[in-house]
Amino acid sequence: MTAEAGRASPRVASLPRVLGPIRPRPRWQELRLLVLVALALGIGSVSLGATMTGTFALHDPWGLGIYLAALGGAHVAQVLAGRRTDQILLPAVAMLGGISLLLMERLPQDLVVQRFFGASFGLAEVQLIWLVGAILVATTVSIVVRSDNWLRRYKYTWAAVGVGLLLLTFVLGTEINGQRLTLQIGPVSGQPSELLKVILVVFLAGYLSENRALLVEQDTWLGPLRLPPLPYLAPMVAMWAIALGIVVVQRDLGAALLFFGVFLALLYAATGRVSLVVVGLVLFLLGSAAMANLFDHIRTRIDIWIDPFSDPLGAGYQVIQALHAFARGGLLGMGLGGGLPEIGGRPPIPEIHTDFPLAALGEELGIVGVVAILGIYLVIIQRGLRIGVAAADDFRSLLAIGLALVIGIQAFIIAAGNLKVLPLTGVTLPFISYGGSSLLANALVIGLLLALSDKGVEPPPRPTASSRWRRLTRRGPD
Amino acid sequence: MDGFTLVLWGVRILFLLLLYVFLARVVRALLRDLRAAAREPVDRPGRLVVIESPAGEPAAGRSFGLDVITPLGRDVNNAIVIEDPFASAEHAVLTYRGRSWYLEDLDSTNGSYINGQPVDGVAAMSYGDELQIGQVRFRLERTRS
Repeated sequence: MTAEAGRASPRVASLPRVLGPIRPRPRWQELRLLVLVALALGIGSVSLGATMTGTFALHDPWGLGIYLAALGGAHVAQVLAGRRTDQILLPAVAMLGGISLLLMERLPQDLVVQRFFGASFGLAEVQLIWLVGAILVATTVSIVVRSDNWLRRYKYTWAAVGVGLLLLTFVLGTEINGQRLTLQIGPVSGQPSELLKVILVVFLAGYLSENRALLVEQDTWLGPLRLPPLPYLAPMVAMWAIALGIVVVQRDLGAALLFFGVFLALLYAATGRVSLVVVGLVLFLLGSAAMANLFDHIRTRIDIWIDPFSDPLGAGYQVIQALHAFARGGLLGMGLGGGLPEIGGRPPIPEIHTDFPLAALGEELGIVGVVAILGIYLVIIQRGLRIGVAAADDFRSLLAIGLALVIGIQAFIIAAGNLKVLPLTGVTLPFISYGGSSLLANALVIGLLLALSDKGVEPPPRPTASSRWRRLTRRGPD
Repeated sequence: MDGFTLVLWGVRILFLLLLYVFLARVVRALLRDLRAAAREPVDRPGRLVVIESPAGEPAAGRSFGLDVITPLGRDVNNAIVIEDPFASAEHAVLTYRGRSWYLEDLDSTNGSYINGQPVDGVAAMSYGDELQIGQVRFRLERTRS
């Protein structure tokens, strides 16, 4: 009997060797925070249920249950994977996703109706499917990705893929609300700009980490401004052209602003030069001013921003309604389900589920709730920057910083648009807005950040492309 | 105000409160993480990378790991030997105190320069700063393992 057991045990031990030995590592901090998330979402659901139906019960216990079960599954998968990854990102994102679920359950369900396999799903159900998909993507990426060579080595390939996606959208994209953003291939439709932002960060991190020394070292003087050597400015100019191209062809101001903002932030992170950022901002403002003179739809956006009340029932309607929503919300808000008076069966703000979720939350949770939500975004940014600082080399460092900032800048752009701090541009509020492309792309970002935060990950490869740097320095000073 | 409204108000406030409890727990974890990182011993706090060296010794592109106290100069007993006619035998000392770098010029003949500014006695340095001794230019960088 004992001999039998002795012979059986090595066979058991040899089984997982194919996948790598499974060594579970407890993640108590993540678990504690997730329990807190579940508790908060439960109370939020009761608050929503009581307002909507008049009895103290969970509103849609199944939806919340499925969401929390998916989070639990993600946690168990992380524990089993045994990687020493960040334990705060998942709960922070889970809180935002849960708030999104509560908001979508609260809005009229017929805002979005999609049919999958003959059954039709309303707004909250579709969002729940995407949220679970997003958790799956983030968990898979964070567990499977152990080396960054596939990102590092093929950065120009990735850039080509990105440009290809963009061109494909130009040519084949379907036009919705005068914006050509959605690409439909067969039954699958999505907004490539969401994926493009991840590709952009990968490319910029690769390019800047390789050419950092050059960008910092050599100087070109343009009047009082110290600039890097002109050939290495070419990508900056190309980036600027692409951003403005997106504005012209796709009429997507938000994506252009996001791309350019991330580009400038990464350029600053890599070189530490304020002059580059100043030049970039001046270029962008000049470009925007020229655009505003050339194109009507951009001038309209800016006119609305300056004075929405000049056309309160037309162009300025959306922005004015959002401002009213924030005003009605006040300090503590009307409570989940208590605000957003419907006008003719519709919520007061058009496109509330994609572009104005922050205004909806502002009305129902008040400024106190909005500040808490913005605080969670700050936490995500802090984690990304922290992972970047602890990273082993420049590429990983810039990648982590860029990934965190892409979420942070996007949240800032749309939050500022909702509050009439900046002209309104249609980007989604990460993890809260309705939308599959946005949720999955942001989940990819979180998955990569988690993978990068692993302390026991493979060391980065030795730098190979310093030849240009060496050639320049060998020439000596002159 | 009936009981239902009152309880509902309580539930609403509780939800907002829980959002902040969550945020507070997260921020506490972040602070603990930052403090732990600040306590972590750093074996090699930084390095000096040679960016320009007309005499070729040390060669441009070379990087020196730095100790807590690193003497620089033309004399062979220095940790970083600078074979440059404009460098003094005991030119300067780079030290790491607390969490920052200081360069002390040892009354050298031609002086030391940080980002082009002459160093008078002791000057603080931070990562990314350029140090010039004689005709040799270095850059102080963070060590990456």
